[in-house]
Amino acid sequence: MEARIVNKGQLSELLDKLAKDYDLIAPIQEETVTLFRKISGAKDAFLEYTNSDISPKGCFLPQNEKTLSYMYTGDTLEIDKPEGAKKTVLFGARPCDIKAILTLDPVFEGEKFGDEYYSSKRESTVIIGLSCSKVLSTCFCYAFEGGPCDGTGSDLLFTEIGDKYYVEVNTEKGKALADAYSQIFSSQGADQLAKDKEELAKKLAGEFVRKVDLTGVKELLDKNFELAYWSGDDQKKCIGCGTCTYVCPTCHCFDIFDYTTGDFNGDRLRCWDSCMYPEYTLCAGGHNPRPTRKERVRNRFMHKLKYHLDRYNMVGCVGCGRCVKKCPVNIDITKIINDLKEVAQNA
Amino acid sequence: MPNTSPLTPYPVTITKIVDETSDVKTFTVVFDDPDIMENFGNLPGQVCMLSVFGEGESTISITSAPTRGKFLEFTVKRVGRLTNVLHQMEVGQKFGVRGPYGNWFPYDMMKGKDLFFVGGGFALAPIRSLIDFALSDQYRSDYGKVEVLYGARSMDDLCFKSDLAERWPKLHNTGIYTTIDRAEEAWKGHVGFVPSYVEEVAPSPENKIAIIAGPPIMIKFTLPVFAKLGFKDEQIITTLEMRMKCCLGKCGRCNIGSKFVCVDGPVFSLAQLNGMPKEY
Amino acid sequence: MMDVIQQLREQAKKLLEEKKVDLVIGFGQGTELARTTPVFIDSPEGVSKLTWGPFCANNLAKYLTDYKNAPGNIAVVVKGCDSRSINRLLDDNQISRDKVVIIGVPCSGQLEWQKVAAEIKPGASLKETADNGDSFSVKTDAGDYKFDKKDYLLHRCLVCENPNPVVSDLTIGKEQPVKNYEDRFAEVQALEQMSTEEKNAYWDKQFSRCLRCYACRNVCSVCTCQICVFDQMLPMWVSKRTNLSENTAFHLTRAFHVAGRCVDCGECDRVCPMDIPLRKLNQKIHKDLGDLFESPTPGTKPGLASPLGEFSPGDPEEFM
Repeated sequence: MEARIVNKGQLSELLDKLAKDYDLIAPIQEETVTLFRKISGAKDAFLEYTNSDISPKGCFLPQNEKTLSYMYTGDTLEIDKPEGAKKTVLFGARPCDIKAILTLDPVFEGEKFGDEYYSSKRESTVIIGLSCSKVLSTCFCYAFEGGPCDGTGSDLLFTEIGDKYYVEVNTEKGKALADAYSQIFSSQGADQLAKDKEELAKKLAGEFVRKVDLTGVKELLDKNFELAYWSGDDQKKCIGCGTCTYVCPTCHCFDIFDYTTGDFNGDRLRCWDSCMYPEYTLCAGGHNPRPTRKERVRNRFMHKLKYHLDRYNMVGCVGCGRCVKKCPVNIDITKIINDLKEVAQNA
Repeated sequence: MPNTSPLTPYPVTITKIVDETSDVKTFTVVFDDPDIMENFGNLPGQVCMLSVFGEGESTISITSAPTRGKFLEFTVKRVGRLTNVLHQMEVGQKFGVRGPYGNWFPYDMMKGKDLFFVGGGFALAPIRSLIDFALSDQYRSDYGKVEVLYGARSMDDLCFKSDLAERWPKLHNTGIYTTIDRAEEAWKGHVGFVPSYVEEVAPSPENKIAIIAGPPIMIKFTLPVFAKLGFKDEQIITTLEMRMKCCLGKCGRCNIGSKFVCVDGPVFSLAQLNGMPKEY
Repeated sequence: MMDVIQQLREQAKKLLEEKKVDLVIGFGQGTELARTTPVFIDSPEGVSKLTWGPFCANNLAKYLTDYKNAPGNIAVVVKGCDSRSINRLLDDNQISRDKVVIIGVPCSGQLEWQKVAAEIKPGASLKETADNGDSFSVKTDAGDYKFDKKDYLLHRCLVCENPNPVVSDLTIGKEQPVKNYEDRFAEVQALEQMSTEEKNAYWDKQFSRCLRCYACRNVCSVCTCQICVFDQMLPMWVSKRTNLSENTAFHLTRAFHVAGRCVDCGECDRVCPMDIPLRKLNQKIHKDLGDLFESPTPGTKPGLASPLGEFSPGDPEEFM
């Protein structure tokens, strides 16, 4: 695999250039919160973050997206669709969040039904990952074969080594970008840094404090839909908000509705939705197949640990730890995994 | 090649509206672009997303069989936001349709067999497409006797009256049994609930497939009757209903376990349902 | 804190053993050293899960309405601020007094767990906490730490009105001194100093970040409507779209909906994943209600009329 070097001193220059040539999406800090937004240059970027409060999944599945606009003009009905995505660079995404994008791919790029909105953004975006320099107490990406310096899914992966970034070129798309800015991406001396990167990866891999072991969990859930466990404290303490699903980088549920902008005109929107909301499954006639928090909590974790695996052969969790950190009542997927493992062992 | 624009609806024009009951209407529509109908390829049991712009979308089963012509029929009960508005529309007005979605009744597997349909209330709609498909000139010889047992609360709640009273009974080798829950003066037919009527008619399980659609309570009490009559779970087919937004297996909400009703259903055999979580 | 924990467990055990209650809702150790999580204990053996300390931020009174129609009685562990919720729920006829056993614990402040977690060695486990007056000691298996209250307390605790429960059936732990904070509304006053344009800009920036996850609403102990107006589909007052106009509609409607009932527990502020300072909205209303009607913080006494829910012919309103 090819590698390059970018001097930290040149990063601002690179980001400014990228912002000029592309739509550049990078982490920013707004008050105390880190999120991904389109930026106009290096001055807006905030790279000293551990993990952002909101993942960059919005680059491909925005919280609000117009899918079409409609117009009744007398006897005709016109339907217009928005233009395809612009050339975009997503800079500074963490390895877990990039892996999360890979879990979204099969949902939106299915065999039978694709999704022009997602795919157009996916195709026109270069993903530049940024290795972690710190492991948080809520992190557990290692449990899903990820790692703080894992470049899977990225086109380029930046890893901070001293005053340089060691840049792995993972795809042709990444190579094309590095070549286009060859005055910044230097090929000289990259080999020496490869070892440093490996050592950093090894060091960080030893810093995880959460013990998460999925052994036996899928098999347990395959055989048991009704488990006494789901009637336990988690569904009792869940307040039914959508925080876990909105901060989750792999949650992809959405709602579709119309937003009237004039008498007979309007937009159709697709917006994030949450399986934790009661009305999510509420049928027009009043029937609700998941009427209480018990069914909804079970569904969320079954989706992460079984359903996504069944459909796409990928776990629906990447171990970013956001839901662990943000849940107002400390419902913790790592505890659930470990509890289920125990249930499996005692079964 | 996947369909990359599956969320885009196509304009249709309403050509006919039938008032089935006080809150159920059947809309006949044609696509403004005839090419779309040519390539639509809907099969009995499939559903569409209906767009009433300004209100959103709703999943509605295709009531018409593809064998009946270059049009689609949707039988819609007025229950919510979109259907309220749809019910106010008139012939000549337009809305949007995308689809067809989901699986279809296993009409190949049913070949050479007798078909026994059970419908309750407005839920004859999703199986009517298969009834008409099996009774069509093109496919009639593929199937044996076609029987329809249909019940509604009252005379006023009976849907598809002309099909039940005129069109279907006239066709070769059919049996139509209609019932209402409680006696009414003007009603000359059978009185009683669907499950007990099934017991009375007592279809033999031999070389027969039962196709059931209706309110959950009707299904709940009808299934044991079929079991008592000797039907195996593989011989019983039903179709499910869930809240849906995309109908493409992406928006998440219509899952039963790992299955999405919108792409893996809505048609399931009882044998399949028995292997799935009871969360519908 | 150890003696408080011990007493809590003993009392809870007694309540369950004597069948005075069927369920005890309290705090248990969470999955992070500096976090607790709500625990629901239905047998005397389960009481060892109960804990207490400076990481008990949640307002557990929130859960009482979940058990409104359940048979049997419920005991709940509350701090001073949480106990105001109980008075409010009683006044709103949301719970019946004879079904609830209130275990009050005087509280000397709650620490902001993320701030504490940032200082402590990841993976350490908690041994003991102690209150030193101006600081908390946190003993762990990876060493001992000290957290100054002025730097690490939740904002709401820095101006705590009721360190001691205002209503309780049994009180565990020693009574805490009540301080009279003159700058209780300092943050609101700072906002009031802004020009209209500045205020708009300030709140626009905050609200545009909102994800509309509704954590603030769902955690609120006085948000007790069975179907919230924001979940209603017919008519749909706000959509799921997040934009400034709908987000603002949500937050202002919510603030006014709980005006006169909000007990200032600060939970909405604590749970917001986007750190929107929601308590400032509520506090502005509290301040105005105090200034205009001399009304105390809702819930501080039982039977307090809601200042915006009661009127009399003697009211000085011009339109009357």
